[in-house]
Amino acid sequence: MADSKWKKAGITVLATLIIIVFLFPVYWMVKTSVTPITELYNNPPHLLPVKATFDSYINNFVRNQDMIGYIGNSVVISLGTMLMTVVLAVPAAYALSRLKIKGKAIIMILLLSIQMLPGIMMAMPLYIMFSKVGLTDNYIGLILANLIHALPFAVITLRPFFLSLPSGLEEAASIDGCNKFTSFTRIILPLITPGLLTVAVFCFLFGWGDFIFALTLTTGDAVRPLTLGLYRFIGQYGTEWNNLMAVATLAALPIIIIFVSMQKYVVGGITAGSMKD
Amino acid sequence: MKAQNVQKGSKTNRGGIRFSDWNNYLFLLPALVFMAIFIIYPIFYNAVLSFKDVNVYNLNGKQNFVGFDNYIKTFKDQVFYIAAKNSVIFTVVSIFFQFVIGFALALLFNSKFPGRNLFRSLMLLAWMLPVVITGTVFQWMMSGDYGVINYFLQSIGLIDQPINWLSEGNTALLGTIIANIWIGIPFNMIILLSGLQTLPEQLYEAAKLDGANRLLQFKHITLPLMRPTILVLLMLGIINTFKVFDLIFIMTAGGPVTSSTVLPIYAYQLSFSMFDFSHGASVSMIMFVLLILVAIVYLKMSNKEEAH
Repeated sequence: MADSKWKKAGITVLATLIIIVFLFPVYWMVKTSVTPITELYNNPPHLLPVKATFDSYINNFVRNQDMIGYIGNSVVISLGTMLMTVVLAVPAAYALSRLKIKGKAIIMILLLSIQMLPGIMMAMPLYIMFSKVGLTDNYIGLILANLIHALPFAVITLRPFFLSLPSGLEEAASIDGCNKFTSFTRIILPLITPGLLTVAVFCFLFGWGDFIFALTLTTGDAVRPLTLGLYRFIGQYGTEWNNLMAVATLAALPIIIIFVSMQKYVVGGITAGSMKD
Repeated sequence: MKAQNVQKGSKTNRGGIRFSDWNNYLFLLPALVFMAIFIIYPIFYNAVLSFKDVNVYNLNGKQNFVGFDNYIKTFKDQVFYIAAKNSVIFTVVSIFFQFVIGFALALLFNSKFPGRNLFRSLMLLAWMLPVVITGTVFQWMMSGDYGVINYFLQSIGLIDQPINWLSEGNTALLGTIIANIWIGIPFNMIILLSGLQTLPEQLYEAAKLDGANRLLQFKHITLPLMRPTILVLLMLGIINTFKVFDLIFIMTAGGPVTSSTVLPIYAYQLSFSMFDFSHGASVSMIMFVLLILVAIVYLKMSNKEEAH
């Protein structure tokens, strides 16, 4: 017994060390963001913050109004991606798991293959298509582009949730006077809330993290998200890494908040969305 | 015909069958319409584009079919071969280390110890960060003069002089690979861990009784039983790593010159820097065909696995 206790302690220590090393980049991002510019180019670098300053945050988010615009755009695009995906994917996943549909297998293979498409391959034709119909520099255009990867992911992730519900639910509902649509909205949907949350979280993250469509489908700052703002800052700020890391930290903040509050749904989503049939 | 369908439906269908089957398709319709317009059509459009001569000048004007000219142009371009080689190096090296490190961590996290769930979640955080952020942070850590990575390497005596990781031709690709390995480790770990947790414990107990040590257990129980998970993971890895664009674009933009140019970056440059859309389309069609080949191999392998 005592032996196994020591072993457990040993593993915990080892795991702690691994986590510290592994998460060092995240620590270094936050640490750099609160380092005064004069400290930044200290050689050797101070691994722990000597004196913290929030100058770079004030510079970027209070004085510079551009950033507020980028953040607003990111919020619109992420929420839009999330809502549109849920609206399209939930009924589709329901049909593909519980209703009689011809060609289910083909549609599932199609969805799986779409997930494998390189973003750049979609960005090129979309750019030409969208510039003809005025969807470049447009929230809707970016949201539609993000759906290309979010929609298949959402359907594939939601399907096992629908399948796990007992059969005959719809029949029972129809006896109680529900039709096909009301039994879906009133009976089935509330039962798959965990699945909905997983999908919603991931689709928000897809929208928040998108770079390639923001890069190719926008030409001005009007609808550009924070990811592109960060990229443009690399060019503008050059080596003012404290400013850059402040923007990066703030861009990571929603992810960290969502992650901490929705952890359970996130871990489920990763294994479900990637491996199940 | 109809009656037959309904009869069949009553046996196989879980839902109500008293409603017209057409209603079923209404649930699917919005998603299918979206996919037709914004996924299938663009792929088709991209294929057509690759046989035309569309560039920024004639985008809204007269465009001609030019047969395989764009493909010939691509196959005659030195940069295409450099990009293809870099893509292979990037994919193989990234996957190898992601997988090996991910597997080692999965084995570690498979044993019960206090704080396990917290640690596992913390690892995932790295995977969930937007790639733009990860790329920027690694760019800073790999900076030549003040980068913390050079500082670590110098203080343990591995290098004498600071390396300009991302601005030197022979280390730029390696720099992006290191960042990509960091991103991929948690995903590999989580998938392998969920596979490990389904393995029956009795097998290990029996092996222990037979006197098999850890290494033998790993070789003769863990690896064979994990085969399907490993295959799927590696195939997914190849497909997802082959198409990495954001990270490399942020860290090096494919440079210096072409030293870290991979196929997606090459296609991007043709279409969005040189605005030769058709030439870019031919490169992405080549990538598409390569990915389909990988997918076919994957399906064949998983069929074989099932037959086993």
